[in-house]
Amino acid sequence: MFFKKKKMEETSSALNQENIEPIDKDKLIEEAKILSNTIDSVAGDERIKALNNIGSLYFAADKIDDAIKYYEISISGNKALGKAYTDLVKLYNIKRKEAVKEKNDDGMKHYMDKIDNLLQLSKDVIRGRA
Amino acid sequence: MIVVNFIINNILTQASITIALISLFGLMLQRKKAGEVISGAFKTLLGFLILSAGSGIIVVSLIYLGKIFTEGFGMQGIVPSIEAINGQAMNNLHLGNQIALTFLAIFVFNIIIARFTRWKYIFLTGQAILWMATMTTIFGSFAGLKGAPLILVGGLVGGIFAVAMPAIAQPIVRKITGSDDIALGHFCTVGYMFTAGVSMLVGDKTKSTEDLVLPKGLEFLQDTYLSLALVMIPLYVVTAFFAGSKFGSTLSGDVNYVVYAFLQAVQFIVGVYVLLAGVRLLLAEIVPAFRGIALKVVPDAIPALDCPVLFAYAPNAVTLGFIGTTIGSVIAMFLLPKFGLAMILPGMLTNFFAGGTAGVFANAVGGRRGTIIATIAHGIFITLLPALLVVSFNKMGFVNATATDVDTVTAALLFAWFITPILKAI
Repeated sequence: MFFKKKKMEETSSALNQENIEPIDKDKLIEEAKILSNTIDSVAGDERIKALNNIGSLYFAADKIDDAIKYYEISISGNKALGKAYTDLVKLYNIKRKEAVKEKNDDGMKHYMDKIDNLLQLSKDVIRGRA
Repeated sequence: MIVVNFIINNILTQASITIALISLFGLMLQRKKAGEVISGAFKTLLGFLILSAGSGIIVVSLIYLGKIFTEGFGMQGIVPSIEAINGQAMNNLHLGNQIALTFLAIFVFNIIIARFTRWKYIFLTGQAILWMATMTTIFGSFAGLKGAPLILVGGLVGGIFAVAMPAIAQPIVRKITGSDDIALGHFCTVGYMFTAGVSMLVGDKTKSTEDLVLPKGLEFLQDTYLSLALVMIPLYVVTAFFAGSKFGSTLSGDVNYVVYAFLQAVQFIVGVYVLLAGVRLLLAEIVPAFRGIALKVVPDAIPALDCPVLFAYAPNAVTLGFIGTTIGSVIAMFLLPKFGLAMILPGMLTNFFAGGTAGVFANAVGGRRGTIIATIAHGIFITLLPALLVVSFNKMGFVNATATDVDTVTAALLFAWFITPILKAI
């Protein structure tokens, strides 16, 4: 019984979110597009914040590739252990699973390598190397 | 027949060749090109031989430390280093072949358990699996197992740990990450759960470590080897002083005994450097090959990743966890000899990685107060468990070293306390 209960709990976070409230994905994508037009007009922390917001909106709208794109720009400009980092781990894992389903070995390796790079980044940031 | 016998007796008994063949097998299963298969297998062979060379350097340095420590303080001083244990097991006890095959068996059992049960964890930290294979092989061999049973029992125990440890940690990992997308694959989980338990009892999770403003980064740990030097050089030099010039000079020849102690400390660091370079080369080919296979065979796998994956969720807790664990390990260093146990010296790298992760666990359930108190307890706990193994290691002929990662220590204790008595009774 205990393990059955656990299994029921062990659903993906995205699924849980869907159960809680319906998400208007088109609205999120529209918001992300508007925000992406403003990126070039801001710099520094503001730009990183905007990039993370766009990544977050695309992630919520299940636009995985777009979310990865903006989070990767964010993390290349600011090697920090924030939301971009934690969401990228999840996004790469989603892409890794997709690659497994499609029997795409190169894709699977590509995203596992990306996760490895994030682990290295984590070590470097904590040690003050990044 | 002569050729077959020659291969069995002279080639397959060489651990470096066995592990290279395992890598070759993995790369072929991945349908890599012939050139990639051959170069990958050769790199694995090189990695293993470099690892052995590093271990040789470490052992010479540890023998020297053992002598001056006993002379200076009248007790045994033990360096916690799973690398040194691995090296000695491969070189001095000639268990390299069995460790290599157990390493493969752990992968296979992990895949089988994940494929056919509801626990879908695939343990992806290759280095940790190598250390687990080392410990199950050493203690399985000590229990009297040989040949295929040694490898199968070690592989089964290691495979169960590879699934059970991420599963045990998952309730807290879920709390930290907010989902079940990833799991933790680091064989220090018993310590993390102990820390979380203490933190839950004494802590207050409403006040997170992440609300504190701490200095950025642990700059002095930027380099693995500098941080090792920070502990090993003072340790060797101070011990040499206590041993005295008369005794020290009998070991140092024409060189001044303090300068010799300094150089021996540096030799230890060089040994770890070479050994870890070997491990990296060894695993660079073999791990991607087998994780590719594992993730294909278990399509709904939850990848159990190395501990830095959790650092991003609470960087301040990592810093506090490292400091707390170091304080705890120093307390335990002085405390344990009073109970008749060996003096275990603090291991800075374990304190950093295991201590940091323990901090993240503690913060998730007990906030900043829980983190500070529980990680000190963690430092004591992860020093106590390896201390319990020292008698067994001494009996087996290991020189002044004990294991670090507490899950591998737990597996070893499982062998020492349960499997060995059962096997000896049969």
